[in-house]
Amino acid sequence: MVRTSKIAVALLATFLIAAAALAAEKAATKAPSKEQVRKETSSASATAAAAKAFEKVSAELYPKAKQEGNLVVYSVWDVEHLKVITDAFMKRYPGIKATYWQGRNPEIVTRALTEFQGGQASWDVVLSDNAPPVIRAAGAIMNYDTVQRDVLYLHDPTMPTVSLQVQALAYNTKKMKPADLPKSWEDVANPKYKGVVALDDPMRAGPLSSMLSGLKTQWNDDNRYNNFVKGLKALNVPVHQSTSAMFRLVISGEYSICMPALLHDVFEEMHKGTPVNYNKAVPPVVFPRQAGIYVKAPDPNAAKLFAEWLISEEGQKAIDSVGRETSRNDFKSHTSIEAAFGKNTKPIPVTDRSFLEDPKKWLDTNVKPIWG
Amino acid sequence: MPLVGSAIAGAAIITPVLVVLWRSFTTGRLGFNVGLNIANYVRVFGDKDIMAMLGNSVAYAGGSALLGTGVGALLAWIVARTNTPGKTLVELLPLYPILMPPIMKNIAWILLLAPRSGILNGMLQQFLGIETPIFNAFSMTGMIWVFGLACVPLGYLFLLPVFLSFDPSLEESAYIAGSKPVNTMLKITFPLAVPAFLSAFVLNFLRGLRSFETPVLQGTPANIKVFVSRVYDSMALEFNTGLATAYSVVLVALSVITLYFYVRATRFSDRYATITGKGYRVKVIDIGPWKYLTFFLVFIYFLAGIAIPFIVLIVVSMIPYFDYDTFMKFPTNAVLTNYYTVMHHPSFVTGFYNSLVLSVTIALVTVLAGIVMAFTIYRTRASGTRVFEFIGTLPLAFPPLVLSVGLVIIFLGTPLYNSLWALGIGLFVAYFPYAFRNASGSIVNIHKELDEAAWVHGARWRHVFFKITLPILKPSVGGALFYIFIEAIRNVDVAVLLTSPGKEYGPVTLFEYFRVGQWAEAAAGGVVYLVVLIAAVSIAKFAFNMKFSL
Repeated sequence: MVRTSKIAVALLATFLIAAAALAAEKAATKAPSKEQVRKETSSASATAAAAKAFEKVSAELYPKAKQEGNLVVYSVWDVEHLKVITDAFMKRYPGIKATYWQGRNPEIVTRALTEFQGGQASWDVVLSDNAPPVIRAAGAIMNYDTVQRDVLYLHDPTMPTVSLQVQALAYNTKKMKPADLPKSWEDVANPKYKGVVALDDPMRAGPLSSMLSGLKTQWNDDNRYNNFVKGLKALNVPVHQSTSAMFRLVISGEYSICMPALLHDVFEEMHKGTPVNYNKAVPPVVFPRQAGIYVKAPDPNAAKLFAEWLISEEGQKAIDSVGRETSRNDFKSHTSIEAAFGKNTKPIPVTDRSFLEDPKKWLDTNVKPIWG
Repeated sequence: MPLVGSAIAGAAIITPVLVVLWRSFTTGRLGFNVGLNIANYVRVFGDKDIMAMLGNSVAYAGGSALLGTGVGALLAWIVARTNTPGKTLVELLPLYPILMPPIMKNIAWILLLAPRSGILNGMLQQFLGIETPIFNAFSMTGMIWVFGLACVPLGYLFLLPVFLSFDPSLEESAYIAGSKPVNTMLKITFPLAVPAFLSAFVLNFLRGLRSFETPVLQGTPANIKVFVSRVYDSMALEFNTGLATAYSVVLVALSVITLYFYVRATRFSDRYATITGKGYRVKVIDIGPWKYLTFFLVFIYFLAGIAIPFIVLIVVSMIPYFDYDTFMKFPTNAVLTNYYTVMHHPSFVTGFYNSLVLSVTIALVTVLAGIVMAFTIYRTRASGTRVFEFIGTLPLAFPPLVLSVGLVIIFLGTPLYNSLWALGIGLFVAYFPYAFRNASGSIVNIHKELDEAAWVHGARWRHVFFKITLPILKPSVGGALFYIFIEAIRNVDVAVLLTSPGKEYGPVTLFEYFRVGQWAEAAAGGVVYLVVLIAAVSIAKFAFNMKFSL
């Protein structure tokens, strides 16, 4: 009898532990944890502490990095941007020669992981949005937690977030009056926008699917999420596999609303006087752009130094100078969330690891059954 | 010796193919090792959507290949065989469209044919009051039109040497028997050009099957899904090169079927020999008043193939942004900022120079190797050489990214990796099918009696190859060199994985603008690129009297 009770207790305990572990795992993959999402603004003391921490780590890493002498970056960013950023880095840290190779995300993942599987110590850092989590999932990223974590808007303890991809609801000002605009992302699915919306293809690893992942996490309401996707589907509008081409077609007047556009593209066009703007009332979707350090990096110190420098004020200035969104919450720039959307904006972060690391599986589970 | 040369070229081609095929049985998602399995193939053959996608692919690739090769053949016939006025101009006009990369045509034609914002629909509305859009870039017709135009140069360059080397006695016999020119053309001239036509058609069809830009930019908005998108999804969404290869195997099967029909159609190669031992001069046919129509046709193609899209790109590169109203205000709103941006791009000029040197080398090596392989198949007595027909065309069945993965795996850990040699070999593998199919189509037109005469007199293979075959193939060699050079200088897909960090390769720079959607900068870069190439072709033609297969 006692033995039976012991077995029952043991089974119950095992069950409870397993349930708790499952719940914890679910929470870790779905909800943005405190580790992943930080405050929108930092205090002056946090800024000062980050600056001090950076100076310290920079002083430690630079001599070793200089000895390594090189830095190889794989990135999806424009060559013009990479040149400005790596030139600024080399100017700050003489003796380190930074070279880069630019490709699209699938090309970066293919090259980086093929080299990883081939045992090649051929690159140091991958600087991108979609690629780093996928490469990390294969075990090719070295865990590195930045010392400036307290000033980051999105923090991942394994890969420093150096910039953000910010999605905005953009529209053609010749075709749409601000009063007629959707009031939220959800409102885009309103049937009255049928025929005027250009949709990014939700079945690819692109901005719309990352938005869906962010909204699903934030809403935590399957009914609401399902109705939203069904609503978008019911619009029966063309979908696009090239976000940039879709944005050009909105500018040309083929469509009136871009679902979604990238904020830096919108700003660049607004600066040129293009008839395009974005709805500031719709909270932006933010996606981390990370610097993932290769586990077999030939120049690991240079890689860490580069990642830290990108988050430092100087690095963020370099990123801002090419029009890309910065990742610090204390950095004042026209593309910062506070400046672009207002002080009390609550952005929608994309932090679901299951989406970031295996988009296909996530889409098959969460979009395909509704979208078809 | 030709057999050894062909075997080396064949090995260079088949090795990356075998590597990716092997990996389709041994790999899942990149970064994760799995044992030998057929999971990828189970996925492919269990995919319920692929038949519909294959249907779209065949319609799109077949339609484009038919349009492109047909127009190319017609142009070649007009240029080579008719007394169309303005001979120099008529010879040159079909060449210029080759210089415009397909993606530039895509962008230009989207701007022209988009239903609501397209220039042509806007003009119809503004000047004729037609409210309903007539043209639609986002449709199967729009896709076939744009990719078909991109297929014309290949048809033209393949067919022109055939029409230029025609024994007129064949047509004269028809005339003597009372046949009229059009009848003779349809019943004698064109049937004799079948091997070259099929060669170009097969290439264009396979290019269409694996082409991705047109379906993405023009097909997706119309919900037209093509098969190759599955290959790209496997790479871009699942990061599974093994699955991408398994999907590519379906394209290989389609290629084999296509090649089977080609080989079958040309199995009695002697029937198509138009170059014989008899001396003759190619006869130009007087087509009477029809010559004005043929001139008009050449001019229309020149307009559609390059002039109109080029003008659109020039305007787009100089206006602040593109919409119909802004376009129509040109030139009052012209700005040059995009040209400034392009010329100050960190690697536009150096990259262009690097790719220029490599492209010339690759064109020479590839064309020579292609002729050697075609010679081995059709002119040597070694058995089993027909297998080269398949091997030589195989790379076309694989999307470039899949093929480059095979090359990366081969080169990894060797001194070749991240070197210009790797890029060169990659371009060789990618463009070999063009060189080979061009040589194969042309060699069939040379009657065996020419080299048999040499064999009988004790000539060795090198005498036959260098003194008989190669000189006779000179026109098609010129065309192939020109085509491969132009294609290689703008290659991105193969080059991207094989370029090393810190080394610039020109087209990658230019097409980055297209890839990131900066159409105005892309247009400016494209205009600079086209002006340089047009100037080069014109100088080569007029100053040095270069032939380009003419």
